[in-house]
Formats: sequence, C-alpha cells, structure tokens
Amino acid sequence: MPPPAERAPASRWAAWLSRLAVPIALAGSLAGATGADAKPARIVSLNLCTDQILVDLVPRERIGAVTHLAADPSVSAAAEAAKGLRITYGSAEDVVALAPDLVLAGTWTTPATASLLERLGVPLLRVPLAGTIPEVRAVIRAVARAVGEEARGEAQIARLDASLAAASRKRREGPRPTALIYQVSGLASGPGSLADALLEVAGLRNLAAELSIGRGGQVPLEILIARPPDILVLSAAPDEYRTAAADNLRHPALRHASRSGASVVIPWRLWLCGTEAASRAIDALMAARDALEDARHR
Amino acid sequence: MSRLRRHPLAILGTVLLVLVGASLLTGPLGVGLPPGVARTPILLEIRLPRTLLALLIGGGLGIAGAALQGYLRNALAEPGLLGATGGAGLGAVIAIHTGASAAVPLALPIGGLAGALVATLAVLGLAAAGRSTAAAAGQHALLISGVAVSTLATALISLALNLSPNPFAAVEMVHWLMGSIADRSLDHVMLAGPAILAGAAVLARLGPDLDALSLGEDAARNLGTDIDRVRWLIIIGTALVVGAATAVAGTIGFVGLIVPHLLRPWVGARPGPLLLASMLGGAVLLLAADIAIRLASPVGELRLGVLTALLGAPFFLWLIVAGPSDQRRGPLP
Repeated sequence: MPPPAERAPASRWAAWLSRLAVPIALAGSLAGATGADAKPARIVSLNLCTDQILVDLVPRERIGAVTHLAADPSVSAAAEAAKGLRITYGSAEDVVALAPDLVLAGTWTTPATASLLERLGVPLLRVPLAGTIPEVRAVIRAVARAVGEEARGEAQIARLDASLAAASRKRREGPRPTALIYQVSGLASGPGSLADALLEVAGLRNLAAELSIGRGGQVPLEILIARPPDILVLSAAPDEYRTAAADNLRHPALRHASRSGASVVIPWRLWLCGTEAASRAIDALMAARDALEDARHR
Repeated sequence: MSRLRRHPLAILGTVLLVLVGASLLTGPLGVGLPPGVARTPILLEIRLPRTLLALLIGGGLGIAGAALQGYLRNALAEPGLLGATGGAGLGAVIAIHTGASAAVPLALPIGGLAGALVATLAVLGLAAAGRSTAAAAGQHALLISGVAVSTLATALISLALNLSPNPFAAVEMVHWLMGSIADRSLDHVMLAGPAILAGAAVLARLGPDLDALSLGEDAARNLGTDIDRVRWLIIIGTALVVGAATAVAGTIGFVGLIVPHLLRPWVGARPGPLLLASMLGGAVLLLAADIAIRLASPVGELRLGVLTALLGAPFFLWLIVAGPSDQRRGPLP
C-alpha cells in the first residue's frame, strides 16, 4: 500500500513564525537535556503510526501536534482520541515553530524534515515501520521510553499479547485456510508486511505468497478468481472510498474471489501501522476463520 | 493487393473480429483458460468488459481524431492535444469527489462530458483569439491553446485530489494521467458505452460536410454546408466520446492522432470516408495495444495509457518534423 498522500504545507505564516521560534526551540531542547528525569512535555509526531501510539501514552496537554491523518477515521485507528489535537503537516519550519522537546518521526516518511530538525538540535526519535509482531512490541517500547511512559507502553503491549494468546489458544489442527488481503487499486499484502504476520497469527495462509503478483503487489482480478482464497479480506468497505482507485473493491466479479463467496472487511487502519490496534485485526480474522470452519463442519 | 485496397472497412472489421477473439482468450492467466478455473466470470465479467471498453474507447477516439483533423484541417488535431481529455478527467474527478457519482452513477460520464465540452470550447476560443495576434499563427495557435488548457486541467485534477479527504490521491493521479481498462466491470461499459456510441454516431454523419469543408469554407457554404452546425456537432460528438471514455478509463492519449494518419495512405485523404475507417482503426489499435500489454505484463504493471503515449509521442514529433504526407493545409477555419 502506498503511503497516504502527504499534503504540501501551504502556510507562509509558519515560515515566518519559525524564524522567531528557532531560538526558543533550541532553548527548549537544552532544557530537556538538563533535567534527566523530566518527561518530554511538548511532543510532536510526524508520522501516522507514532501518532496513534502517542495519543494513548501521554495526556493531551503533552502533545504539541500530530499529523493531519491522526484524526482521519479512514486511516487512523485512534481517530477519536486524536480529535482536536493540533495538526502539523510536517515541514521543519512548522515543527520548529511548535518548540517541541521531542519529535517522533518515521524512518521513511519525512527523512528530509527529520535530518533538518536534528541539525537544528531538536530531540528526535526515528521510529521504523513495524512489519512483524516483535517489531510492533519494540516500536511501542521505544516510543514509550522516549516519552517516559514505560508502564503505559507495556499496557498497550499486554493488550496486543492478550489477542495473540487467544488466537494461539483457538488455533485449530489441520490445514490452514488461505486468505488474501485485497486492497484499494488491486494490491495484495505480501510476505514481510504486518498484515501478512497477522494472517499467520490467526492461523491463515497468505495466498499472496503463492500467486503471481507484480512487484508493486498488484493482483489482477482474473488471477484472484482463478485461484480464490478461502477468505477474501477487503482493506476497506466497498463504498468507503468513492474514488476511481477503489473501483476494484466494487467489482461485481469479486463475489467469485473467495471459495465461500463471502468477504470480510478488515479496515486497513487496523494493520497499516504496527500498533495495539492490530489486536482488533487479529480478533476479526479469527472470527472470520471460525465462521469458515464452523460452516465446513456443519 | 488492389482488391484489398478497395475494402478497407471490411478488412479492418475482420481484423477487429480476430482481435476480439484474441482479447477474450488473453489475460493474466495466459492465453486460453487453464482447466479448473471459473470460466464464466473470468470471460464475462473481466475479459469481456475489458474488450468492449477497448472497442468503444479506441473506436470513439479514432473517429474523434479523424473528425477533428478533418474539420480543423490540422494534421496535429486530436482530442488529447486539444484539451478535451484533460477537461474530461477534471470533470470526472469533480463528479467523483463531490460525491455526485456515488449518488447518481451517471454523474461520472456527465462530468466527463461537461469537462471535455468546456475544455474544447476554451481551446477553440483561445486559438481563435490567438490567431488574431501575429505571435501564434496557424496550426500552432490551436496546439498552444491545447497545451495550456491541458496543463491547467491536470493542475486542477491534482488540486482536487489533494483537497479531497482521500488517502489515495497519488495512486489516483496516476490513473487520470495514464489510463487503464484493466479490471473494469460491465458497470463501466454501461456507463460509458451509450455516450461513446452517441458521440460516434454524431461524428459519423458529418462525412459529406467534412468532405465539402476540405474544399475550403466558401466552397462548403456554396455546397450547402452549415458550418456553424458542423462545428457544434463536432464539439458535442467529441465531448460525448472523450468525456465518457476518459471518465471510466482515465487518459488514453494519441489514438485519435495516430489512426487517421496511418489510414490516409490506404483509405485516401478525403475526411468523409476516413471517419468510419478511423473508428474501426482506433478500435483495432487500442485492442491490439491492450492485448500486447496483457502479454508483456500479465500482472498489470504496464498501463494502457503508458503504451499509447509511448507509441504516440514519437509519432507526434515525427509529424511535426517531417509533416504529414498529404500536406494540404490551408489556413485554419
């Protein structure tokens, strides 16, 4: 899945303000460095994935800003909690103007901004995109440590682990049913993605690994119908995105694209980022699997 | 050979039938269908819509190109270069992102039609204004206006996608710039087909008028051609075809430019007979191109709009440098 479109910052304002704010930001970072036990009090997140971890970890008054995507319910699993928080579009000027004492950035979404901020002396944590369950735990721990809320971080991990434990208890013997996560513009989640790891946890076999699919991950509908998975997982409800790119989720032939004829919708906001929201995706996959196996045994 | 020359329509039609068969037999699964797969949905719901859209869009763009070249007496005229395609894309994007097409599916081709209409009128208006100044004279006024309107339309599509609450703006921009008919459904055929057929029917009836116009406007008037009426029918027919085609498939460029030029040495330079031949020729070209990309890139990485642009852009440059073989261009109407 391509990264959500970033919007260009359009504010000349922020550019102007930032010139005033640079000395303040530097002063702030110095202050943060002197008090070793002081928790960051003005945290800015530049990445949808760190946004979602952050809003659960710290009280709202300690959040300087999150991305504009954080409160968008179509991509964010923590949209409700992020509502009303200040938004940043991620330009270095914008961020410096917020005078943060900690910036959370993705390793690949805003590399230019991140290195510029580092040169300006803004404390910065680069957080990789989690592609496996252990990486999800590591990412949550790293963010929790940086913001000084280790206990709350462990609570997030515990909620995720509870879903994992339930899934492994309920796993059944016998061959694993196949599944395919079919996304907007015909992409399928392949090996190495978090979505693939979640299928594995739920005791499903990712059919994408066995189909001939493109380098970008495209699965032509024809191939999907010729070799349908037991469970077709749609990354969005067919009518959620009324865009030409999502026409594939509305294609009438999709009813032939799973052996059971049915599809389940597991919104991509639950597995786009490695957060505790992945537990909800696991629960939904387990439910789909149970329904399939019950139907078979009946 | 001489007998072949006399029946271009029959030959193009035969080739087209063969290609339709080949198209139904070709897909990401390879040529034919492996045993044990669900044949009916693959044939009827995936390969058939793709084939029909290639026929409709290729045929529509072919006849629109021939009509525009004949009417404007400009060898470089083509729906894409005249801004109609860009305008159609913009109209479709607006119809989608205002929610109109979700409420009423027909809003999609209507949006494309309206966009194509506005863009074509703007280009023709700008070109007429440009010709009155000495700076941009002749054929170039039309092309320069087309470039300006196309660029504006592309910028506005990008703006509309960025302003919409849509995380897929980047993916969708690719669709509008470089179209595709992969994985379309019969719904798309039903949405675009009637408008494309109506537009092609409007254009197909203009043969005698275009023939008369090739003698010059005064001669055409003396022969009884109502030039204003012809102009409006050309604009409306082109907008119907290009608006509906672009609304369901994105930008597929250069078909309308290439096909009439390829057929002129065979069919003759008279614009009238060229209309139907270009319709069949456009369908042949686009269907062949779409079969070729299915063979070259079964998983669908290569987009149809990319291939037509790869074929068309060098052809366009060659036309500019070498000039068409049947150079008989007077001043523009």
